[in-house]
Amino acid sequence: MKKLGLFAGLASSVLLLGACGSEEAAPVAATTEDGKTEVVFWHAMSGDLETALNTQVDAFNASQDDYEVKPVFQGTYEEALTKFNAVAGSEDAPAIMQTFEVGTKYMIDSNKITPVQEFIDKEDFDTSVWEENILSYYQVDGKQYSMPFNSSTPVLIYNKEAFEKAGLDPEKAPRTYDELKEAAKKLTTDGQTGFTMLNYGWFFEQLVAAQGGLYVDNDNGRSGDPTKAVFDGEEGQNAFNLIKEMYDEKTFLNVGQNWDDMRAAFQSGKVAMYLDSSAGIRTVADNADFEIGASYLPVPNEAERQGVVIGGASLWMGDGIAEETKEGAWEFMKYVASTEAQAQWHVDTGYFAINPEAYNEPVVKEMWAKYPQLKVTVDQLSETKPSPATQGALISTFPQSRQSVVNAMESLYQGVSVEEALKRAADETTSTLGQ
Amino acid sequence: MRLRNISVYVLLVLCAVVMLFPIAYAFSISLMDGKEVLQGHLLPREPSLENYVAAFERIPMMTYLLNSLIVALLVMIGQVVLSSLAAFAFVFIDFKGKGLIFMLFLATMMVPWEATMVPNFLTIQSLGWLNSVWGLSVPFFALAFGTFLLRQQFKTIPYEMYEASQIAGISRFRFFCNVVLPVSKTPIVTLSVYSFLTTWNMYLWPLLVTNTEQARTVQIGIKQMQSNEVASDWGVVMAAVILIIIPTLVLLFAGQKHLQEGLTQGAIK
Repeated sequence: MKKLGLFAGLASSVLLLGACGSEEAAPVAATTEDGKTEVVFWHAMSGDLETALNTQVDAFNASQDDYEVKPVFQGTYEEALTKFNAVAGSEDAPAIMQTFEVGTKYMIDSNKITPVQEFIDKEDFDTSVWEENILSYYQVDGKQYSMPFNSSTPVLIYNKEAFEKAGLDPEKAPRTYDELKEAAKKLTTDGQTGFTMLNYGWFFEQLVAAQGGLYVDNDNGRSGDPTKAVFDGEEGQNAFNLIKEMYDEKTFLNVGQNWDDMRAAFQSGKVAMYLDSSAGIRTVADNADFEIGASYLPVPNEAERQGVVIGGASLWMGDGIAEETKEGAWEFMKYVASTEAQAQWHVDTGYFAINPEAYNEPVVKEMWAKYPQLKVTVDQLSETKPSPATQGALISTFPQSRQSVVNAMESLYQGVSVEEALKRAADETTSTLGQ
Repeated sequence: MRLRNISVYVLLVLCAVVMLFPIAYAFSISLMDGKEVLQGHLLPREPSLENYVAAFERIPMMTYLLNSLIVALLVMIGQVVLSSLAAFAFVFIDFKGKGLIFMLFLATMMVPWEATMVPNFLTIQSLGWLNSVWGLSVPFFALAFGTFLLRQQFKTIPYEMYEASQIAGISRFRFFCNVVLPVSKTPIVTLSVYSFLTTWNMYLWPLLVTNTEQARTVQIGIKQMQSNEVASDWGVVMAAVILIIIPTLVLLFAGQKHLQEGLTQGAIK
């Protein structure tokens, strides 16, 4: 986690160094041996996701003769971003760069990218077929900066068998905080705890946004530069109170910061309900010995449910590269956004299709029949009410802020009060905003 | 006496079990399927080598292993050669500001590697060494720790011997090769093993300076197999880990005798 904080510092020093770089000559597009224009694509997809990504790239390369997309794995999102900043504007810079949602503001401020809006305007490309809630995250001042690619949201995952044993209806998952607490109490036995949540800023942001709460002022940084973190308000306190109360009642298990630790606790029956990313559902379902259910993120009050914020990552186009290369990058982006490609992507990974028509494709229908949990995640997203809260916050120091929130969550377990823990995290975030 | 011996051995065995547990467990996981791993089993129910096959299929393992080996060997040779030559100069040759330069040399140990990473990267980039073994190895050739370690060893060689060799008309380089190096075998082996292992385990730097699969090293391969949002296939990851620690284990066993002597040398004196 140390790297997280480091990267911003490193990256900004690179920006400075890069600024005194050499005179610019007109960039020349690199070509492959058979004369295709080479389009380098940096990504952070590892494991099974990388396999799925390579399938998409291969399909694109086979579909036309002008461009050859070359995917290169560049470590985690943070590491890839550090590296991008080190080479941006030079000939080693990629044409397409995948960056996580919280890096959005940072990428825009770097001035080393080409907004995809340029190409949308040039071609009069119709973006209305795309999922509005996904697009809106990457829209700033009405401009589409990057192309949503892999989007996910949080869901509540639960063990249906454990529900039955505890005398709960396995088809009816808790949807409010009170129901969650009630269910967790019944589910907590000697070897099993009711509920858990990863100590990760993303889940907290989601719990706040689901209640319509803002993360920072100026409409989450969407109507102006944010000056103050406001997540320590009522909504944030609700979320923290929930964790604290359940932890004190011993119906909440602290699983630390590792995603797979949390999943292992669930798979081995140590915990009966937890929050996971929608992208993780399929492997969880495959690996579980019992039937699993998925449901919406819990809120304090069902009537005021606002929805969820899009997580995941988007594709950015580099700047200072040859026009032909940019064209190739744009062609690839259009390809991955197409109905068929999106359907395949959704099926392979569990990420959302940015093009809702993909859900009508037969491959998706088949998949949903097998994994009904996937459909829940899609419904949760399409029921989301667009607002600054569910659009997500736009701040350039998100990685640091997430770390502050994680520290606050962990201090809760040590007995620090909800107000104090939240206030500290908010103050830390506010102090980084001015930088 | 016998009782004491037995208790010492029991203690040693206990320590060995504790130390070896992670490796043994990694090996055990490498034989399990994904389900078993997540359910927290200690031993595989139906051991299978499928994960090893998958590890080779998932990433270009052989290329990565070969690259790591070349880079680690290069850095090892570079560090030993440069450190021993530098240490020789600091011990046997008189020059102006020797003490000050040595202090400066040691002071570089205080600078964290991360702080110099970006300038180093820009240098390598302008040299056109991205994606090459030079970019991966040359920045690590100068090692203050190695120079210091060997300097301490060289200082135990009587200076009179050096003077005698000078009078006898033997060149400095011959004195270095025929006298200094042979008596310093132990710390040199220690340094070699140390530099091989640290280079073998490097992750961030190779990730920065390479962009193609042909140039990448094993640690990136391991990272490539793990994911966050989606559950990782830990069986395959552990299979790769086991394959990757084999060379380092071989090296440790080969250099064990010298390594022990080398590491405890400072403590005894």
